[in-house]
Amino acid sequence: MSAHASHAPAPKRSGLWDWLTTVDHKKIAILYLIAGGIFFLAGGYEALLIRLQLMYPEASVVGAKTFNELITMHGTTMIFLAVMPVIFALMNAVVPLQIGARDVAFPFVNALGFWLFFFGGVLLNTSWFLGGAPDAGWTSYTTLALNQYSGRGVDFYVLGLQIAGLGTLIGGINFLVTIINMRAPGMTFMRMPMFTWASFITSGLILFAFPAITVGLVLLMFDRLFGGNFFNPDAGGNVVIWEHLFWIFGHPEVYILILPAFGVISEIISTFARKRLFGYSSMVFATALIGFLGFMVWAHHMFTTGLGAIANTLFGLATMLIAVPTGIKIFNWLLTMWGGQIRFPTANLFAVGFIPTFTIGGMTGVMLAVPPADYQYHDSYFVVAHFHYVIVGGLVFGLFAGLYYWWPKMFGKMLNETIGKWNFWTFFIGFHLTFFPQHFLGLMGMPRRVFTYLKGQDLDVGNFISTIGVFGMTIGTILFLINVVVAAKGKRAPADPWDGRSLEWTIPSPPPEYNFAQTPLVRGLDAFWIEKMAGNKGMTPAEPLGDIHMPSPSFLPFLMSVGLFIAGYGFMYHNYVVVAIGLILTFGCMFARSVKDDPGYHIHEDEIEEKGVKA
Amino acid sequence: MATHHANAVLPDEPEKATLEGKNKILGFWLFLGGETVLFGSLFATFIALRDQANGGPTSQQLFDMPLVAAATLLLLTSSMTSVMATLALHKKNLKMIQVWLTITVLLGLGFLALEIYEFVHYVHEGHKISTSAFGSAFYTLVGFHGGHVAFGILWITLLQLSAVKKGLTVVTAPKFYLACLYWHFIDVVWVFIFTVVYLMGMIGGKVG
Amino acid sequence: MGAHAHNEEVRKPKVKHDGPKRHVVAFIGSLVLTALAFIAVAYEVIPVGFTVPFIVVLAFIQAFFQLFVWMHMDQKGHEFARISIFAGLFVILLAVIVFVYWVWI
Repeated sequence: MSAHASHAPAPKRSGLWDWLTTVDHKKIAILYLIAGGIFFLAGGYEALLIRLQLMYPEASVVGAKTFNELITMHGTTMIFLAVMPVIFALMNAVVPLQIGARDVAFPFVNALGFWLFFFGGVLLNTSWFLGGAPDAGWTSYTTLALNQYSGRGVDFYVLGLQIAGLGTLIGGINFLVTIINMRAPGMTFMRMPMFTWASFITSGLILFAFPAITVGLVLLMFDRLFGGNFFNPDAGGNVVIWEHLFWIFGHPEVYILILPAFGVISEIISTFARKRLFGYSSMVFATALIGFLGFMVWAHHMFTTGLGAIANTLFGLATMLIAVPTGIKIFNWLLTMWGGQIRFPTANLFAVGFIPTFTIGGMTGVMLAVPPADYQYHDSYFVVAHFHYVIVGGLVFGLFAGLYYWWPKMFGKMLNETIGKWNFWTFFIGFHLTFFPQHFLGLMGMPRRVFTYLKGQDLDVGNFISTIGVFGMTIGTILFLINVVVAAKGKRAPADPWDGRSLEWTIPSPPPEYNFAQTPLVRGLDAFWIEKMAGNKGMTPAEPLGDIHMPSPSFLPFLMSVGLFIAGYGFMYHNYVVVAIGLILTFGCMFARSVKDDPGYHIHEDEIEEKGVKA
Repeated sequence: MATHHANAVLPDEPEKATLEGKNKILGFWLFLGGETVLFGSLFATFIALRDQANGGPTSQQLFDMPLVAAATLLLLTSSMTSVMATLALHKKNLKMIQVWLTITVLLGLGFLALEIYEFVHYVHEGHKISTSAFGSAFYTLVGFHGGHVAFGILWITLLQLSAVKKGLTVVTAPKFYLACLYWHFIDVVWVFIFTVVYLMGMIGGKVG
Repeated sequence: MGAHAHNEEVRKPKVKHDGPKRHVVAFIGSLVLTALAFIAVAYEVIPVGFTVPFIVVLAFIQAFFQLFVWMHMDQKGHEFARISIFAGLFVILLAVIVFVYWVWI
């Protein structure tokens, strides 16, 4: 038991200070959602400008350099600062509840992970105002990314992503320990909901993939800032090492992106078909296999770098192999729906819309996996179409689905269904209008990352339609924002608005600070559904009612992140006094945290109430 | 409920006696898995670039076997003494923990001193991080390891100081355990460094 | 301090206190393996082509000694510790193989 826990009542914090110091996973989820949402709008605006520039041949909406900055920032922002945080938002909001836990394993570290991401993202985006954003692509290939060929913008990329990446890494470790050690009694691994399984495997991928990019970024930083020669051929360096390190991270990264979406889809499809997930064990196995194989295919991004036929063949075959467990999942979702009583609230519209869209993206992935064919597709719009189909048509649809589904649990309000349907259809149609033509643009030879194209190359119509589609997605996004505002004024949501199957639906919406008054006893897969089918109103508790010990809030995670933020600027501007100030702040806080034990505080038995407490 | 002071009521294997302790140990092992990939990436890069000396001094010309052997002996022994500290932890003997950890820290400082001397010497020989790809890879890999050793020394020392006041409890026990796990890990990394960087780099050159 | 109810404190079952013997054996083993590796390189007792695989194998053996004995990785309760280290090794082995054979072509 933690030593000498304080028996004082819960510290009363309110307003901004509460949010800056919270270590509660439910609040951290909301922080991730808000920050990720803001960055999503930034990335979306960047996309809008890109497509406006490409709407007509030889347009001059933006110049070439700005265009390069836009495509770099669009990719980097969307992947690292928008969708990954929203994934973390859902994981934070849902996973502890689904396993019957009161918080994650390391609440302090959870907060630290958020603030590191936040400040890393802010640092990266200040580049726009400090001389120019990075412009070497989100993949930042050397030699282009070295000092000789790009400006200070790439330094922002290098430092911003190191800081944000650290946050993601510790978040991954946190969820792994939480899921391994803190499941409610009776919840064996094979009784966990699919979203928790997906979060578990995703966290494993994060743990093993992020160190590789960290090393890559450090080496690039050494080359750019300290005279290193890793990627400088004149001094014996090798540029392809960057590509290897980047993609050793980058390929597992895309599975980090999609596996949580798969988890969301599994939950939603089965809930709204009122049927248990078909083939649960094979779903678990398939998810694990995708994760495992995901580490063995990275060079399929490098087929044209001259690795040779043997390497290309091995990586090509491994890539195609991943289609097998993915296909298993698609069939399982379809078979779950088959014979079910299907309803279509907005969450399920996005989930069902995901299935054919992601399948198309997966199919073009298999096309790309064939090395000789890839020599034609590589660096064309065909690739752009492929990855947007899987990331937007897959992941983003999944995130919208998850948000509509879990919004009542997170905020205690239901999102409006009418606005939701308009949100879905405008976004869905807009999406396909934008990206379907891009397959053909690529096949007709349009390279990617070009800031314009000439008339009379048959590229006009495709680009024009593609830009029109963006307006649809813009409207869809705006409708979602409107929905958020409208929902805030609505009635309180019930604990279980969807007739759910898993533990998060057994507690109020939003849950009280401590989640479960009594840790539930789990009797099988779809723990809540089993109780419902047995005629029980709720879960059987696994422990008596008692005082609940909670971790204390803390300002240190915020401060530690500010420290690294400051140090980042110091490194970029070669000002080592500033570096020292930043690092002393960070390590000083770390030391303070280690030395002063957190006693936490207690929620007394008589304070535990069944009504949800406002988040 | 465990209290601050009485060692007599400290449970067996105190580092694992609480959920917090178990979480920390598991979390730390997972972190070590990530560190494996981190150092591994640095190793992979080093292996690819080890022959790219760009006209500067090569590994055969630079490395000195007696110095590497001495550094290895210091670090390996310090890892052994940290094992003794963990055994003292299981015997709930704070005094012996402190003795063994002090020896560990001193040996670690000796290792660092040798390494700093070595790096200074190499710089005088014209082998810097900016000299060549080999130079960059060498200093990054070995330097990162040295940085980890320095951090470990600082960590253990701070733990020792705070234990003077707090004693051995179910809260401080996991901290000692983790620090020793960390220390073992950086010795395991060193095993690969002396093999891949130094020994492989001395093959075909003059040896001590 | 993870949030959990008071009565969740788990008492581990009594574990037999292994003395320092296993660990001292591991220490001596590590010293021997280290010495072998140094000697193999210093005195070229092994044909040069074999030296590299030889010392790499010695390194792995020593690493596993230290992981399994000193860090208790072989004991019960360390399943995820094993998975973590082996998974990390697997990822990195793939990378090392590619870096050795396919970076300079």
